[in-house]
Amino acid sequence: MITYDHLTKIFGEGQDAVTALEDVTFTIEKGEIVIFLGPSGCGKTTTLRLTNRLESITRGTIEVNGQNIMDMNSVQLRRQMGYVIQDIGLFPNKTIAQNVAVVPKLLGWPKDKIQERVEELLSMVRLDPGIYLNRYPAELSGGQQQRVGVARGLAADPDILLMDEPFGAIDPINREQIQDEFLKLQEKLKKTIAFVSHDIHEAIKMGDKIALFEKGRLVQYERPEALLTHPKNKYVSDFVGADRALKVLGIIKVKDVYNPNTKNVVQSSDMAQTVLNAMEQKQSKFSIVLNQGKPIGYVTPKLLKYEQGPVKELVETFPLHLRERTPTRDALSFMLMYDFITLCVVDANHDFLGTVTYNDIQTKIKQSYANEIDQEGV
Amino acid sequence: MGTLNFILKNIHTVLFLTWEHIYMVGVSLIIATLIGVPLGIMITKNENMAKKVINGANIMMTVPSIALFGLMLPVLALIGEGLGKVPAIIALILYSQLPIIRNTYVAIKNVSPSIRDAGKGMGMNRWELLKEVEIPIAIPVIVAGLRTAAVMNIGIAAIAAYVGAGGLGVYIQQGIDRVYPEMILAGALLVSILAILVDGLMALAERMLTSRGIQIQKRLSR
Repeated sequence: MITYDHLTKIFGEGQDAVTALEDVTFTIEKGEIVIFLGPSGCGKTTTLRLTNRLESITRGTIEVNGQNIMDMNSVQLRRQMGYVIQDIGLFPNKTIAQNVAVVPKLLGWPKDKIQERVEELLSMVRLDPGIYLNRYPAELSGGQQQRVGVARGLAADPDILLMDEPFGAIDPINREQIQDEFLKLQEKLKKTIAFVSHDIHEAIKMGDKIALFEKGRLVQYERPEALLTHPKNKYVSDFVGADRALKVLGIIKVKDVYNPNTKNVVQSSDMAQTVLNAMEQKQSKFSIVLNQGKPIGYVTPKLLKYEQGPVKELVETFPLHLRERTPTRDALSFMLMYDFITLCVVDANHDFLGTVTYNDIQTKIKQSYANEIDQEGV
Repeated sequence: MGTLNFILKNIHTVLFLTWEHIYMVGVSLIIATLIGVPLGIMITKNENMAKKVINGANIMMTVPSIALFGLMLPVLALIGEGLGKVPAIIALILYSQLPIIRNTYVAIKNVSPSIRDAGKGMGMNRWELLKEVEIPIAIPVIVAGLRTAAVMNIGIAAIAAYVGAGGLGVYIQQGIDRVYPEMILAGALLVSILAILVDGLMALAERMLTSRGIQIQKRLSR
């Protein structure tokens, strides 16, 4: 847990004084990723650098796990926190293994424990230890170097990780991949992470919460979907962008919107004419066919007309099924792409869980914005 | 031909003078390194000091060596060392300071801020950062400074013969006095050969002291 309390930072003195950070108060909970977001010069990096005392605090306090950092030895403090920066800053004179081992070595770990840890970490960031241990940073691509940077930050297994645009120097394709891998890692590691970024997409994707800064002030501190649906002022709504409704779709998952009690479901052994009659009665245009709880496709009245026998021989298959963790953005995209307004949700076992329709998604979006519309009405 | 004959005929003296020459340059270089490198590192933390120290070393370079020997003579005479190897070595130390201090200063200054930041942020103290990161990265440039100083000092040491310090300059000085061209040429030739040899050796040292990672980085960035 990191607590920032009325934090102010002024660079320089007298007439040259520049206020980089003014009266910032917020708390990063244990195990959460908090994104420090904002344009350059907004104070996000300064806040991070104050946290490990690379800059000195002008006023206010920072507490780490309840202890004021000014009461701690700065070198000891930094060794308790992982630090990953945009320029990576790998030491060119050291091998990859030696680079990752820096902090454990400073902490005086025994050699075999360091060796073991280095190999474990390299595997964790998906670099084969057999190949990379004894290479030098110059021999690695930018993306690989960044992975080493992350491994180095995690080396001594710190509870807290400070990351300053850690994926900023990587090309967009690799960045997506590293972000995904990092999130998977975080699910296991549950570190408390302060993460500086200027990219709203990265912030939405990575953050449990987002701290949005403007000119040294903390403007809004919220969960990403709250920031998107309830921007506090024009600065925030401009920053998150006009397409924020679409961005919300990236956060809302299929599990938040799907209908588990779909009515228009039939079994694969049902007879075509029975199903057709039932559908005509209900005036439904569409039935999902299940075989032992697994969706095998769908039927329409047109398909069933003049047919005999069980429906399982008449089904049209779905182009794909959704999973619970699929973002609704992707679900909507599939609907547009394949011209379907209903898609099935299945679990890892491929068992049917329910359906998602275009309406389900729209209703959820409307709900998210409901409060905002109320507020604007006042 | 005459010069070669002269060298072969006087091979014992030649070897002795060469040894004296190497001794003066070697001792002065070691002492100069012990002063210049720490000083060069120290001034990276203080811009004001840096300017003063480097300017001072610059001014030192502009004083002609003969004049420097003349200036030191009355001072060192007080301790009975006005002539001989002591003034020679002191002069060589002073002349070496500029390349050594300047190269050390520039090399440490040029270590990328992000590397320094990463080291600091991970909890290295000043000394650990210097020892583990800054110096290893700066080594090629620091050794290049030592190389310049060594080669330059081989030339300057030849003049030290005028204050009775010995070395190969003796042949040049006596050759001029006695109008003995073979002797002058022998001295000049040997000084040149020594300079070329030392330059090569220092280049080798530069390569051997540079971390493999930095060599790879240089090769790939070319």
